[in-house]
Amino acid sequence: MQTVTLKPKKEMKISVEVENITPDRFAGKSEKEIQAIEAWMGNQKTTLGDLFSVKVEGSGTAADTKIVMEGDLSRVKRIGEGMTAGLIIIKGNVDMHLGAKMNGGKITVSGNADSWAGREMKGGEIIIEGDAGYYLGGGARGETCGMRGGKITVMGSALDYVGDHMCGGEIVVKGNAGILPGLSNNGGKIVIEGNTSRPGSEMVKGTIIVNGTVEEMMPVFKLEGSEAVDGVTYRKYTGDVIVSGKGLLYVK
Amino acid sequence: MELLIKNGAVFDPVNGIKGDKTDISIKDGKIVNNVSSRATVIDAGGRLVMAGGVDAHSHIAGAKVNVGRIMRPEDTRSGIKPRTKITRPWTGYTVPNVYAMGYRYAQMGYTTVFEAAQAIMKARHTHEELEEIPIIDKGALTLFGSNWPTMDYVREKDMDKLAAYVAWGLLASRGFGIKVVNPGGGEMWGFGKNVTSLDDVVPNFDVTPREIIVSLMKVNEMLGLPHSVHLHCNNLGKPGNYTTTLASMELAKQVKPSRDRQVLHVTHLTFNVWGGTNWGDFESKADEIANYLNNSENITTDMGQLIFGSATTMTADGPVQYANAKLLHAKWANGDVELEDASGVVPIYYVKQISVHAIMWAMGLELALLTKDPFKVLLTTDHPNGGPFVNYPEVVTLLMSNKKRQEEIKTLHEAVHKRTKIPGIDRELGWSEIAAMTRAGPAKVLGLLDTKGHLGVGADADISVFDIKPDQVDPSVEHAKVKSALSSAAYTIKGGEVVVKDGQITATPMGRTYWVDASVPAEHTEIMMKDIRMKFKNYYSINLANYMVQDAYLTHPQVVKAGVIPVEVR
Repeated sequence: MQTVTLKPKKEMKISVEVENITPDRFAGKSEKEIQAIEAWMGNQKTTLGDLFSVKVEGSGTAADTKIVMEGDLSRVKRIGEGMTAGLIIIKGNVDMHLGAKMNGGKITVSGNADSWAGREMKGGEIIIEGDAGYYLGGGARGETCGMRGGKITVMGSALDYVGDHMCGGEIVVKGNAGILPGLSNNGGKIVIEGNTSRPGSEMVKGTIIVNGTVEEMMPVFKLEGSEAVDGVTYRKYTGDVIVSGKGLLYVK
Repeated sequence: MELLIKNGAVFDPVNGIKGDKTDISIKDGKIVNNVSSRATVIDAGGRLVMAGGVDAHSHIAGAKVNVGRIMRPEDTRSGIKPRTKITRPWTGYTVPNVYAMGYRYAQMGYTTVFEAAQAIMKARHTHEELEEIPIIDKGALTLFGSNWPTMDYVREKDMDKLAAYVAWGLLASRGFGIKVVNPGGGEMWGFGKNVTSLDDVVPNFDVTPREIIVSLMKVNEMLGLPHSVHLHCNNLGKPGNYTTTLASMELAKQVKPSRDRQVLHVTHLTFNVWGGTNWGDFESKADEIANYLNNSENITTDMGQLIFGSATTMTADGPVQYANAKLLHAKWANGDVELEDASGVVPIYYVKQISVHAIMWAMGLELALLTKDPFKVLLTTDHPNGGPFVNYPEVVTLLMSNKKRQEEIKTLHEAVHKRTKIPGIDRELGWSEIAAMTRAGPAKVLGLLDTKGHLGVGADADISVFDIKPDQVDPSVEHAKVKSALSSAAYTIKGGEVVVKDGQITATPMGRTYWVDASVPAEHTEIMMKDIRMKFKNYYSINLANYMVQDAYLTHPQVVKAGVIPVEVR
């Protein structure tokens, strides 16, 4: 078992990109080696050692590696990008692209995560105890697939476009979600415990369940009657009919 | 500035050099007989030397290329290279930024590339981009096939006015030749319709695609333009369209060429040699087209080879793009160019295990391998419709190695065995044939063979040297070596200057932009302009004064003179 603890050394006023903070990159490495790993602050190339104090205990494979990050991480982007195994525990808020393209392992955030958390992720799990920003589990601009697999759970609320262009996997938002969750959904599952508006536009496949209030329905769904899911009765819709969609939308 | 390339294994089909050790002397950007002892010497050491590559059909600049960039931000995420002291940043794969267009062509030893379609009204945009593409010489073909004045004059059978319009349109767009895309279809698409055969009548104009094609061919030869009519056939993208392609090729018999070249170039045949009646019985008829080419004169074609993976289809053929977008559930951009044409852009991903894509992959190769004369089938991918141009080395290896083809066929949908002839074709092209398909052929088709596509005295000093020794490497077996050598030229020399060394860009001079200044009798222009002024007054959304491409748009123009010479003067 390897535990790596990172704490910011200085105040980060401009954004920092740390796509190399992953259990895969840290596994079996010493403090010195981790300190030398490349990072970017704005347009300046720097190292993790320059930005963070690094403490390593033990040694292990990626699956056996735990990264703990503490402090003000609200300008730190791309933590855990493409990780395939292991654990990242973040105590605080993080900037955009948390766990982008991740394939396995687990990330937990005690605070909020900014937009594009879990962007294009393929596997693994992200748990955000605070709120999430825009495009949770979505795709970058223009991509035909956002999230393809894995699971994202948000204990708080999420902003607009939850699961944009999602092609698989599952997103659970315990609070409210902004407008247009599941936009162009192509096979993912989204559960929203709170309220939202205009879910499932351009949806082709997949499932969206809303347990709170849908403030506005898109007029592109066909009501199929009522159906019970996990013991709860919903109105069941299919659509988006404009794109001959076979998506399922369950609304209380 | 003098340069001497020694000991190259030169392949130059125009001058009959087939791998012989030949020295090439260069002075002031041209190939000369000999140079002084002060010349800089490059020792090719028995490596492959050919003229700089020439691409007669690629979409490198203009409105629809830029629409492709706008609608595909995800494409920009690939192919990124930061700027250096010499080069600006590179981005993109199917729709690269302007800088990467020039750098990547030069890296592959290409020095001349023609944009295959610009509407006159969008020509300023085309030239704004061409002006930013580094290194290569370039030009743009101008769309005339669905323009209102074209169809008016075709109906009136007034070839003098049509010639005057074409000459003026080339001036207005600083264009190089006549491009015809789905003639009549662009106009029909304005009403949500399309033409389905050469003899469908275009409403409001009372002309047929057949009449449009033949009239423009006649006018092309009246004007003696360097290039011929460059045709994107009707019915493109529909199973069974090979009959339309054959019927269109037949039209070439009605016109005699005014110069030593074809009268009709039928482009990107991967999209035009389709048999069957639907996607279920879809099959390749490339063999029939190749057979026709083997028995006819005055027609040239290009492959439009399909490359598996990401591509962006972009064309002035508006209706076919609507059909594509519906079929693929893909993003779709549609354009209407007022009185001139339509356009559409749709991204696509070609997949080895999809039967239609596997069959299309075979079509371009069948065409190239079954047509005897390599000058009749140019190597293109119809960038970025069949795939991005950076894959040309892959196409070359497929043509040179049956082993490579058989390896590839094993990974494809089984339909490639039943619905194409490719598994049974064992022809392997040699370096002379490749030089013809990528250098001499395109230069001849464009009418630029005096200065491009060969290494004879007087030609532009556009030369490519590749890190492969033809007498030691058998392309049939060692295809991986060929691909890697062609992807990254040992030297690319453009106008006598070394622009690429060992695959790295070493200099970024600005290339020239070719356009054709065709003269017609002033009185023909005068009466034609009356109609044009009327059309601007009544229909166009912009003024005539804001329409013409001005000289300021071309900082390095290369004007080719052509035009109607009155009989009595001859």
